[in-house]
Amino acid sequence: MPELTADVVLRKIKSGEKVERADLRGLVMPKAMLEGVSFRRCDLDGANFEGARLAKAIFKNASLREAFLAGADLREANLENADLEGANLQGANLVGANLNRANLEGANLQGADLGGARLTHAQLDSAKLGGANLVAAQLSHADLSDADLSTAKLDEADLTSAILTDANLEEASLVGARLRDAKLDGVNVKNANLTNADAPGLQPGGDATGRIKRYFGKGDVLRNAALEFDAGASVEIESLFEQCTIALGEGTELVVGKSGLLSGCQIRGAGKITIHGKFVERETPGIVGVTQLVVSAGGSMVGAVEQPAENTRFAFEPGCYLRMKIQPKKERPSEKTGKGGRQR
Amino acid sequence: MNGRKTLVEEGTQFKGSLTSDCPIEVKGRVEGDLTAPALSVSTSGAVHGKVKVAEMKSQGELAGEFDADLVQLSGTVKDNTVIRAKSLEVKLAPANGKMQVVFGECELEVGSEQPAKEVAKEVAKEKTPSARPPADAAPPTETNGSPSVRPPPAT
Repeated sequence: MPELTADVVLRKIKSGEKVERADLRGLVMPKAMLEGVSFRRCDLDGANFEGARLAKAIFKNASLREAFLAGADLREANLENADLEGANLQGANLVGANLNRANLEGANLQGADLGGARLTHAQLDSAKLGGANLVAAQLSHADLSDADLSTAKLDEADLTSAILTDANLEEASLVGARLRDAKLDGVNVKNANLTNADAPGLQPGGDATGRIKRYFGKGDVLRNAALEFDAGASVEIESLFEQCTIALGEGTELVVGKSGLLSGCQIRGAGKITIHGKFVERETPGIVGVTQLVVSAGGSMVGAVEQPAENTRFAFEPGCYLRMKIQPKKERPSEKTGKGGRQR
Repeated sequence: MNGRKTLVEEGTQFKGSLTSDCPIEVKGRVEGDLTAPALSVSTSGAVHGKVKVAEMKSQGELAGEFDADLVQLSGTVKDNTVIRAKSLEVKLAPANGKMQVVFGECELEVGSEQPAKEVAKEVAKEKTPSARPPADAAPPTETNGSPSVRPPPAT
């Protein structure tokens, strides 16, 4: 039970008394009219402010863990250094709010309006920001690792030195965004709009390493082709490949998508293969020298794999289909003489 | 099974045939045939022989023939080993870390026959003989030695 009930809090506010530093855990005040009220340093864990009008309210250093603030009007509210871990702010209006150094780890901000909000040094790891408006938001030094920012609008946002490790920016709009010195390992920018973005090493349709994805779409058929992909390339196949030979450069990532079918094909080189679709070899071994082979649930691999000298890293998910032979590296005459061993 | 299990302790070597109606845990070494509802091989354990179990979890060394419904694998699989399972799980080792499984020359038969038939069906379905170019025809998407590049479709 909170120290003060909702009625008492409202009475105090009306009479001009302060409710700062109060224990208000689990307070239930949906749709309450609380504009400009100060809840500074209050303990509001699990409180319910759904749809409440909290514009310019002060929650500085307050604890709002797991609080329910969906649809709340928090325009220009001061949430500096507030603890909002796991809070629900879905669809909330946070335009111009101060969330500097706030903890929003795992918070739900889907569809929230954070236009022009200040979020420097904010903790947003694993936060759900899908479809959120972050236009011109200040996110420098913010931690957005593992955050979902798919379809979010980040135009003109300042993400300088932000941590975006493994964040999902699929279909996000980053027009004119600043990402200098941001940590971008594993970030997904598939179909993101990076027009005029200051994002060294990041390219639309690619990933954080700047590599462009070669994509072979569903319904396409490629027969009897010899394909060579340069070191570090990223390739996704959703098509039917028949009787093709594919050479992978060092570190090249080849993903056979769910609709992808490689029939009678052979893959060579020190790349990494992930099979969500199907691979059937022609000549044995069908796969030679790859450093990593993953067959996901629903993936199918029929053929032999010849490992490189340092062995292939395998991963198989339950539900995959395998008729697979694994072989050690075989010395070939061309390799002994040092000719033609490398695929690029 | 009320927590009962057959344990082959570290430092123990067992040769012969072992059948049990409770799970077997191998921390030592077994050479021979094993039949049980479940088999667990620890990092210090090794099983060489023919094994028939419903569930198998191995972090140790395997060699021989293994038939199981569910298999979770790490450790080492030696040469001339066959693993047949309805479901196999091998987790991906970190890029610069220790190998999850080191496979010798071996065979994996995992899953039912259905997908193989589906593969054949899909290949037959997608084959359109009239559209098929001669074997020596140039690949349709090659330019300057690199394949055509298209952005992924908008979803």
